[in-house]
Amino acid sequence: MALTITCPICGKRNGYEFRYGGEEKGPRPDEKDLTPESWCDYVHMNKCVAGVQQEWWFHRDGCGSWFTIFRDTTTNLEKETPEAQE
Amino acid sequence: MMSRFNHLPTLKIDTSDKIPFTYRGKTYYGTKGDTVATALYANGVRIYARSLKYHRPRGLYSMDGECSNTMMEINGTPNVRTETTLLKPGMVIKEQNVKGSAKNDMLGFLDKMDWAMPAGFYYDTMHKPAKIWPVAMKQIRKAAGIGKLSPDHHMPGKYDEIYPTCDVCVIGGGPAGMKAALAAAEKGLRVILIENRPWLGGHFDYRTTEYVNRQTHHDRAVQLAKEVENTDNIRVFTHTANVGTYNNNLITGFQVGTEKDSFTERYIEIRANSVVVATGCIERPLLFENNERPGVMQAGCALRLANTYGLLPGKTGVFSIGHDLGLEAAVALHDLGMTIPMIADIRQDGQDPSLVKALADRKIPLQRGWVAIEVHGKKQVQKVTLKSVDGAVGKTVDCDVLVASAGFTPLTGPLVVNQAKQKYDPHTNFFLPTDLPRKMHAAGRLLGFENSRTIEASGHLAGIQAAYDCESCSIADLGEAKKAMESLPGPARGTKLVMAPVKGRKTFICFDEDTSIKNIKQSIDKGFDVPELIKRFSGAGLGPGQAGIPGHNLPLFTARYQALPDIKIRPTTVRPPLVPTLIATYAGTNHTMLKRTPIDDLQRKDGGIFRNIGVWQRARYFSRDFTAKKEIENVRNNVGMLDGSTLGKFRIHGPDALNALQRVYVSDLSKIKEGRVKYTAMCNDDGCVIDDGVVIKLGENDYYFSTSTGRAGQTIEWIRYHTRYDNWDFSLVNLTDAMGVINLSGPNARKVLEKVVDIDVSNEGFGFSEYKEFLVADTIPVKAMRLGFVGELSYELHVSASYMKALWLMLWEAGKEFKIQNFGVEAQNVLRMEKCHVILGQESEQRTNLLDIGMGFLWARKKTGYKTVGVAALAQAQQDNTRLKLVGFKMENNGRAPRDGALIVDDRIRGHVCTARNSFSLNEAVGMALVEGDMSQVGTRLAFYEDECNGELIYGTVVETPFYDPSGQRMKM
Repeated sequence: MALTITCPICGKRNGYEFRYGGEEKGPRPDEKDLTPESWCDYVHMNKCVAGVQQEWWFHRDGCGSWFTIFRDTTTNLEKETPEAQE
Repeated sequence: MMSRFNHLPTLKIDTSDKIPFTYRGKTYYGTKGDTVATALYANGVRIYARSLKYHRPRGLYSMDGECSNTMMEINGTPNVRTETTLLKPGMVIKEQNVKGSAKNDMLGFLDKMDWAMPAGFYYDTMHKPAKIWPVAMKQIRKAAGIGKLSPDHHMPGKYDEIYPTCDVCVIGGGPAGMKAALAAAEKGLRVILIENRPWLGGHFDYRTTEYVNRQTHHDRAVQLAKEVENTDNIRVFTHTANVGTYNNNLITGFQVGTEKDSFTERYIEIRANSVVVATGCIERPLLFENNERPGVMQAGCALRLANTYGLLPGKTGVFSIGHDLGLEAAVALHDLGMTIPMIADIRQDGQDPSLVKALADRKIPLQRGWVAIEVHGKKQVQKVTLKSVDGAVGKTVDCDVLVASAGFTPLTGPLVVNQAKQKYDPHTNFFLPTDLPRKMHAAGRLLGFENSRTIEASGHLAGIQAAYDCESCSIADLGEAKKAMESLPGPARGTKLVMAPVKGRKTFICFDEDTSIKNIKQSIDKGFDVPELIKRFSGAGLGPGQAGIPGHNLPLFTARYQALPDIKIRPTTVRPPLVPTLIATYAGTNHTMLKRTPIDDLQRKDGGIFRNIGVWQRARYFSRDFTAKKEIENVRNNVGMLDGSTLGKFRIHGPDALNALQRVYVSDLSKIKEGRVKYTAMCNDDGCVIDDGVVIKLGENDYYFSTSTGRAGQTIEWIRYHTRYDNWDFSLVNLTDAMGVINLSGPNARKVLEKVVDIDVSNEGFGFSEYKEFLVADTIPVKAMRLGFVGELSYELHVSASYMKALWLMLWEAGKEFKIQNFGVEAQNVLRMEKCHVILGQESEQRTNLLDIGMGFLWARKKTGYKTVGVAALAQAQQDNTRLKLVGFKMENNGRAPRDGALIVDDRIRGHVCTARNSFSLNEAVGMALVEGDMSQVGTRLAFYEDECNGELIYGTVVETPFYDPSGQRMKM
């Protein structure tokens, strides 16, 4: 995997040091009015975009923090902003 | 043994240092600095191996390991590239693919059988009728192939891996690569330079012609190499082949270790901000009849044999070449004593006038517009027939060496595997790289430059471009470097594909796979019209040389045969690994990455039989009786001690510590009192149970909790993940390795403990499910809890890892009179199973939720507002009666226990056994199983199907749980 990831605490590092935590989907939904369907959507449904997405990473072999980055899923390159295009 | 030059400035050998080796059972000597191939050459070996299909004799050809010609078996390892492998004392070298010897191969007659083996005969001929295939295959495999690997061969050596990073990575340590590295390093960048050969210098290194101002190319190479080595911010890896380049500038290589290194070979994975590729060129083979007969070699090979290794390739050498390096080699070899009766140069004009003059001075006849068409000689070159390109006039000349080289082929692999395109350029006759990937630059000979100063200037420019990528130089620097190129000569004109008119029956385009141009024509005539398909059908380029020999000749020849215009010439795809690699190097060092507990040595001394359990090594048994009968009975009757240090141990504190625990644990932890132990569990978002353990309130906003052994590694990640949006203020500390755990269990446990501690350990003073902190011997702080996992009176003592051994030995001493013994993980497993206490991962699998294993009582349904992980799914699962349920069972008729994992069946699979054992406490076989809901009623008959049971089922019945001490008196006594 040629991915490098920029940890907000440790800086740009080898992608092997991190664990993927899924797409950014916003906070856990409120318990009130939660239906099994909406819960299932939140947990399991993904956008799977071909392009830039915001996603969570955990610096497992480093500082141990969770953070998000923007990554172009078609090139596997990290981006600074969601709009960044080559 | 041949005499060797020992006075040339370019030599890399030390003729005074002899190295013995064994070849065909006899001892020979090479010299220090020799490769295996040159050591054999020095000892008169000319035929190194026989070819894959036709058993044709094969010899030294390229010197960089581009073909299988000189692959041999060394110390039992087949297919070692002898041209790039340095000779070491005591090597045992054998020939490959021969019956007899390489010189006298009994299968040599196969060369005459080529009519029976046209391109694709393997697919075409052997399948009708179908039953001949297995017979034919056996015979073919006996005769064909390169190198044999013994199934019990153990790869000798030590293998390693490193993962360096740098600003600029330069691939290729020739003049362009060194200039690029120096340019980038001058801008303050961290540079890595990798070079395939064991030294820097590239094609400058073995050339003694003038560079500028009477300095030779060799001296220039030495000068640049010194500069590179004296630059602190350039890290040089020599004898390191680049094998792959990937997106985001990930560069991989394989480095061969020297005597000083701790590794035989190592894998290098470099992450670079910018990359310069200056890999130069290899020579393009000339196509004519018997073009791979031993004695035929490329110009660089002949020149390096003399200048680098001190060996004159032969007495009489004819040249058939298409570039100035060929003329240069002729002059140099003549001056070293070779007779050169004739040079045939494909080119009509364009030769370097100084070289033409040098040839004239030496009276070496140069025939412009001529080319070799056939080599004569059964096993080695004896004569060669040369003709004018139009075939009008010809001549046959005696010789023992034919230097044959059509032109150059750029090594664009590192660019192309990283998605650069290739385009045929009619001027250089190269497939030039275009559309280079982001932050990747090309320099040097691979762009078609032949002028030495242009080569260096292009290297410098690429180094500056890379520095610009790293924002370490100005646009003005870039302009200056570009300008320096303008006044220098551009790419040289390359030679077109030229071959004399021959049938091509023995004109080989690929040596590894014995593919002749006749085979290529056959493939095209069968309808395989593009090189990519021809390659697959004929095998050309599929051998271990990774298409080093046929790489460019195949598409050029194909285009010519099909009369295609230049723009339609398409190269074949290049893929990593760019050079043949060892699996052993990919595998690297097999580190035993397992943890040991603080009293590992004690457990071993006590006879513990260890097993790898997760990331730990743990004592599973304490005798060869794997039922652990004695250990179990001792816990039930006396007292035992278990090393439970692998348990996950954590402290969480801060204003939001409770919030975080409430988020991940299903119980309501706001109700725990100080001094009490709360058993609880964690689920994932699907309600599936992932962990269980105890939580203890140490004080306000301060908690201590344990997790199962397997979850310890992920717990911090898990809690932080599920609280990542909340900005909660808490700190988590993983104490798993900092603390040891002693589990003291059995009816005598209290008697042992009270001898060691000062506190009141009576049932009233320290009751079941209580937590105490105290000092042992006024020194050792202990966190103690009364639990009952094994179903007996039991104390779990958590103590700093450094005190673990001391406390263990104190308890051991105190327990002697009460028959204290070790018990291992297997005894614990049986003890807890008799109590139907679950181990997650054993009584549960990925899809098992909290309710399935009967632990719904842990879930605080009234706890709301914490968005507890898993409860939404649990609420939904409550309605579902199709799920598996955990039940206890006994075997019928005092039968034995089924194996763990056995299936429970009726007319289909209905569940599986989690754990089952013959219980010594109960005198019968019992176990726990996950079964479909309708089979979970007490009294249901279960049929067990085991692997290889031949349909003989065994039977049991669902019973009430737990099996042992249902009222729980023993653990509460």
